[in-house]
Amino acid sequence: MTVGFFTDTTVCIGCKACEVACKQWNQLPDDGFSFTGMSYDNTVQLGASTWRHVAFIEKPASSSGDGGDNKFSWLMMSDVCKHCETAACLEACPTGSIIRTEFDSVFVQPDICNGCGYCVSACPFGVIDRREDDGRAWKCTLCYDRLGSGMTPACAQACPTESIVFGELSELRARAADRVGELHAAGHTEAYLYGADAADQPGTDGLHAFFLLTDEPEVYNLPSAPVAPAKTIGRAWRSMAAAGVAMAAAAIASSRSASARR
Amino acid sequence: MAECHPVGFQWVMEAKARGAKVIHVDPRFTRTSAVADIHVPLRAGSDIAFLGGIVNHILSEEKYFREYVVAYTNASAILREDFQDTEDLDGLFSDPTTWLYESGKDDDDRAGESHEGGGLHEDVYRDPTLTHPRCVLQVLRRHYSRYTPSIVAEVCGVSEEQFLSVCDALCSNSGRERTSAFCYAVGWTQHTVGVQIIRTAAIVQLLLGNIGRPGGGILALRGHATIQGSTDVPTLYNLLPGYLPMPKASDDPTFASYVSNHQPSSGWWTEFPKYAVSLLKAWWGPAAVEANDWCYDYLPRLTGDHSHMTTVADMADGKVRGYFVMGENPVVGSMHGGLQRAGLAQLDWLVVRDFAVIETAEFWRSDPSCQTEVFFFPAAAHTEKDGTYTNTQRLLQFHHKAIEPAGDRRSELWFMYHLGLRLRALYEGSSEPRDRPLLDLTWSYPTVGPHDEPDVLDVLKEINGFDVTSGSPVSSFVELRDDGSTACGCWIYSGVFAGGANKGARRVGGAEWGYAWPADRRIMYNRASADPSGTPWSERKKYVWWDESEGRWTGEDVPDFIVDRPPSYRPSDDAVGLDTIAGDTPFIMQSDGMGWLFAPTGIVDGPLPTHYEPQESVMANPLYGQQRNPARLEWTRVDNPYHRPFADPDYPFAVTTYRLTEQHTAGGMSRWLPWLAELQPEFFCEVSPELAAERGLVNGGWATISTERTSIEARVLVTARIPPLVIGKRRRVVHQIGLPYHWGSSGLVRGDSANDLIAFVADPNVSIQESKALTADIQPGRRAARPSESRRSRA
Amino acid sequence: MTYYEQPLLKRPVWKWYVPAYFFLGGVAGASSTLGLVFEPLRRRCSRLSLVALTLGAACLIADLGRPERFANMLRVFRPSSPMSMGSWLLAVYGPAAGASAVLGSSLGAGVAGVAGVPLAGYTGVLVASTAVPAWQDASAALPALFTASGVTGAASLLKLGDCDDETARVLRRYGIAGMVGELAAARALEHEVRDVGPYKGSPLWRGAEVCTTVALALSLPRRRSRRREVLAGVAGTLGSAMAKFAVAQA
Ligand SMILES: Nc1nc2c(c(=O)[nH]1)N[C@H]1C(S)=C(S)[C@@H](COP(=O)(O)OP(=O)(O)OC[C@H]3O[C@@H](n4cnc5c(=O)[nH]c(N)nc54)[C@H](O)[C@@H]3O)O[C@H]1N2
Ligand SMILES: Nc1nc2c(c(=O)[nH]1)N[C@H]1C(S)=C(S)[C@@H](COP(=O)(O)OP(=O)(O)OC[C@H]3O[C@@H](n4cnc5c(=O)[nH]c(N)nc54)[C@H](O)[C@@H]3O)O[C@H]1N2
Ligand code: SF4
Ligand code: SF4
Ligand code: SF4
Ligand code: SF4
Ligand code: SF4
Ligand SMILES: [Mo]
Repeated sequence: MTVGFFTDTTVCIGCKACEVACKQWNQLPDDGFSFTGMSYDNTVQLGASTWRHVAFIEKPASSSGDGGDNKFSWLMMSDVCKHCETAACLEACPTGSIIRTEFDSVFVQPDICNGCGYCVSACPFGVIDRREDDGRAWKCTLCYDRLGSGMTPACAQACPTESIVFGELSELRARAADRVGELHAAGHTEAYLYGADAADQPGTDGLHAFFLLTDEPEVYNLPSAPVAPAKTIGRAWRSMAAAGVAMAAAAIASSRSASARR
Repeated sequence: MAECHPVGFQWVMEAKARGAKVIHVDPRFTRTSAVADIHVPLRAGSDIAFLGGIVNHILSEEKYFREYVVAYTNASAILREDFQDTEDLDGLFSDPTTWLYESGKDDDDRAGESHEGGGLHEDVYRDPTLTHPRCVLQVLRRHYSRYTPSIVAEVCGVSEEQFLSVCDALCSNSGRERTSAFCYAVGWTQHTVGVQIIRTAAIVQLLLGNIGRPGGGILALRGHATIQGSTDVPTLYNLLPGYLPMPKASDDPTFASYVSNHQPSSGWWTEFPKYAVSLLKAWWGPAAVEANDWCYDYLPRLTGDHSHMTTVADMADGKVRGYFVMGENPVVGSMHGGLQRAGLAQLDWLVVRDFAVIETAEFWRSDPSCQTEVFFFPAAAHTEKDGTYTNTQRLLQFHHKAIEPAGDRRSELWFMYHLGLRLRALYEGSSEPRDRPLLDLTWSYPTVGPHDEPDVLDVLKEINGFDVTSGSPVSSFVELRDDGSTACGCWIYSGVFAGGANKGARRVGGAEWGYAWPADRRIMYNRASADPSGTPWSERKKYVWWDESEGRWTGEDVPDFIVDRPPSYRPSDDAVGLDTIAGDTPFIMQSDGMGWLFAPTGIVDGPLPTHYEPQESVMANPLYGQQRNPARLEWTRVDNPYHRPFADPDYPFAVTTYRLTEQHTAGGMSRWLPWLAELQPEFFCEVSPELAAERGLVNGGWATISTERTSIEARVLVTARIPPLVIGKRRRVVHQIGLPYHWGSSGLVRGDSANDLIAFVADPNVSIQESKALTADIQPGRRAARPSESRRSRA
Repeated sequence: MTYYEQPLLKRPVWKWYVPAYFFLGGVAGASSTLGLVFEPLRRRCSRLSLVALTLGAACLIADLGRPERFANMLRVFRPSSPMSMGSWLLAVYGPAAGASAVLGSSLGAGVAGVAGVPLAGYTGVLVASTAVPAWQDASAALPALFTASGVTGAASLLKLGDCDDETARVLRRYGIAGMVGELAAARALEHEVRDVGPYKGSPLWRGAEVCTTVALALSLPRRRSRRREVLAGVAGTLGSAMAKFAVAQA
């Protein structure tokens, strides 16, 4: 079964219950205690010890979710690993530590990872990271340990407003499409889905954790057109092959000319 | 609400998804505003003007629900000729004796008592046409006539246009077919006019017919997990369980006088003696007999105000020797941290029970000469004990222990019970009469588990009430008696243990989830959801109605009425007790069964809410010559200095305080937890870009905020979410500074406490502090080190 | 508008070991290949390869967050992962290069010489196949650049040893091929990427260009000069290494 998250940012109230529930369930360490001055965001980004992260964007214009009457809007968005259909981290992982589970989620096996760090550079969303003190790479597990016993992921379970909806991917897509329709009908034409499927985001072939946004992806620190390295690697291999042929030819030519002279 | 009641807020989001309009009235744009349809930023402390403006709008535009208002409120009552309103006295009312209705009888000699007085009885003159110039509705009209949109703009800083859009939204969503609800919490209560703000909302809701009906109401969003529970079974000095008043030394010397002072001649509270006797039976068991007035003399008597701030001031004056602090962190959470610490330093001993060694247990660190002996006891968390929470909607929910408390941690129940046992052992054999209250207490609960934990179900049974002879739990408070045959620890909770089943632990869902006091009723006063004849006001909003064929009230909830009393019932002149309740008077806890637009008694600072400025304000009261609540409680002492009432040149800015979702109150439950502490790691102030520019404050930098009490430092968050307000015709700009109050000097994350800035000053009805509106100055940079800090850093 | 100017991607966690390995691996590969086709230099080539490989492998392992688990690299065979491919390549190449250098095995030399071709270039694929725009954008140029830089490095280092005229000529040509390729690939890269800032703004990148150009200039005259050869060798080595460090930093 393919499961995932539909995160509807228009009903997020920024309570961070998801962020805390994730840390608690996974017993993750804190990220340090310093004030950033970035609205109410003091954990800044997803990382090796923050697998859910709530972003806060103060916008001097009204937008979806506030009925358009306010002069101001405050966007909140709970970010997470996207469990990409074409998962760069997984494709890059040399040890096979990162696997695709029976839920079609992308899971890092901590007992295998040797901390090569390749996945960190591969992820087009800046999600996975290597933990300084531990040496291994970490990210959202889609609560693999909970799914196995029929439980909902901790973050979705904690979310009071169903901003994070967990479920079967095709159902989530249908629900998300309805929600966009609803918002458009209510005049919030800026609402759109981010990464809902391959057509929407060819660079990743779609995300298993996709989002409903009301502003440009960059506003939420998301790439507008992420491209999994799998999409460009063919070019690189071909280039390498050509260069290899050239190198071999150069070696042969260099030594041939020498023997010719001799 | 999204900030502090995020889980409850899911229902608001659900309502919104179904088309409800969400209006958020708050000086700041918060997480609630982010998803609201309308955010109304207003000046902290100006809510009566705002709500009064709505009352004026409703009355002048004739938007009130006339049938409801005539039938279910005291709108038609006629006031005495000598009553003078704030209109006549520039912001003051005439003497409280003049607040009573004009009646055929002499002055009601019970005026001023909590459950009685001022009732709209048969002998009161009424004008159902609501035209008599002295009828309540007309008085209301005059009283609020000056609360015009332009005054709202001037007092609150809300544009007339936005104000009217709120009025329209509210009025068009109220009436027979629709209802609107108000939710409030401490943004309304923590003012010198806190009670009157809620009263104004009550007037609005009564006028619009929004009380006792589904989707209506005024919902107090409560604080700590079971703060509702600790109001019901109170931790308040002036109440006994179930809202029975604490006897006063002056007025209630005997049980007879206690009863006669508090048992009204009509309405549900005529049952008062049953509840009082059953409570005394629960506490003193066999020792409580009619001959000794049920041990009434064992109860302490109030000799004055013993509220928190008064006690702390007494402490600072050396009048208090010992203090128990259980589940509270007053050094951080209560007003005027400096005075709190000074008070604690004068004690001989202090007992603190908490999870962590909170500031209140460590206050002496800033004063090495402090002699107070501090005993710290680790407390068990809710996961380590069984018990109930009573939530905002009066729902008792039982929680089961998940693990045994580790180490020396113990529950409050364990602590109090075993402390009681030890005290009794100390006094064992004493023949002193003054020791009888302790020795005669019913103090033997079965204990369970490795730590001899008292069995909470046994306590719950006592709270529920039981038959003294058979020991079996009563099924409802209607079974309670005043002849000593029943005992009951808190009458309103009666039924939670009916049949010996713990109904608080129900987890079925819907109406079978937990237990809502009273009588498992989800909406109180739901008789008002039907018209006087017992028919629902509308099909869409039908809830509880009279079923003529069955001869009973029925519907979707437990009817809040005598179930077989027909709408047509009228009490006879000699009716007593519950027979005094007429069939068309839904507000049965009032002696007259009416919703009070005008409060002839019970409220000390006036029968009608009136806008007064906070103790410390940035402006003169635009409405009256009377600047501040004339009845407010002040503590006039050198260590509690106040600013000028308004326009203090040294303190030009308005300040308000509040919570953040990420932290909890004084921090004992969040600043020690890394997962919460990292989310809001440092104390900060919120200022607008305009104020930041004016004072040179830089986002992420430091600021020093000062009052006459002290100066504190905070990181700066510059945000358009706390907009400056443009006030009045002269377009004066009022800046507000926002301070979350969660930090203190201990814990994983530390910082200055906002409450160090705030003076002791309170609402006269309930002694709540004014922590939502004051004045201060703000300057860039950090404050100077305090003497105690430099001493500590040298050590 | 961005999110408080926060980076969108995670910074690569690699330390200096990784570009060092890129350089050393390139040298090893290009050297083995030359050694295979040019018998007279085989011993020197295989020794250089073994040294470079040993240091390079040490760098690789040292950079792991869990070095004791380096063997997990061979748990799976994952064609989509250049790092996995590289690991297998090293697993083949390493013993062969060792056998060639220590035992003088010609089978070893043969295998190492063939495996040396991809060894010189796969790290370019590895770097290009990431989400880092400066790398991913250059997915065509980087493998070429890395291969060429491997040739430059190998030829330059080999030049530093004593050479007879013939060896010197071979190395001169091999080196010129590498340097021309490297300079051309670098220019191609500058065209390929959307944002050339991370390269053009980098002193290492410009340094690599200067060194390689100098080495190339010094290599052009046919007449032998030991001083020129040594200078060219040093400059070429620096150019090759700096190119890889520059890419790693981009
Ligand atoms: N996360 C979290 N939840 C909590 C708590 C917590 O500390 N953290 N505390 C619990 C407790 S004990 C309580 S009592 C409740 C309190 O719950 P709330 O009352 O919701 O809490 P506050 O944040 O203190 O105040 C609410 C809002 O009132 C606004 N305000 C300030 N002055 C005024 C004013 O004059 N008029 C109006 N209209 N608004 C004003 C503030 O800007 C603030 O946004 O929350 C409970 N829930
Ligand atoms: N400026 C300003 N000041 C305010 C307010 C404001 O809005 N503005 N709000 C006020 C309000 S509404 C409130 S409620 C107060 C809150 O102020 P306090 O009640 O003083 O603060 P808390 O941090 O809630 O303290 C509760 C303590 O109980 C401990 N605790 C929790 N469970 C248990 C238990 O089972 N047993 C024991 N023994 N301890 C336990 C916690 O660890 C915590 O330290 O603050 C008030 N102060
Ligand atoms: S978001 Fe990044 S870490 Fe998550 S599956 Fe996709 S590539 Fe991997
Ligand atoms: S760091 Fe771990 S998970 Fe990431 S690619 Fe390397 S081995 Fe795989
Ligand atoms: S699914 Fe589990 S691991 Fe992933 S963010 Fe949610 S709580 Fe964390
Ligand atoms: S729990 Fe839900 S509402 Fe709260 S921050 Fe996370 S996504 Fe938003
Ligand atoms: S902390 Fe508890 S009481 Fe407060 S919102 Fe969350 S669930 Fe409700
Ligand atoms: Mo509270």
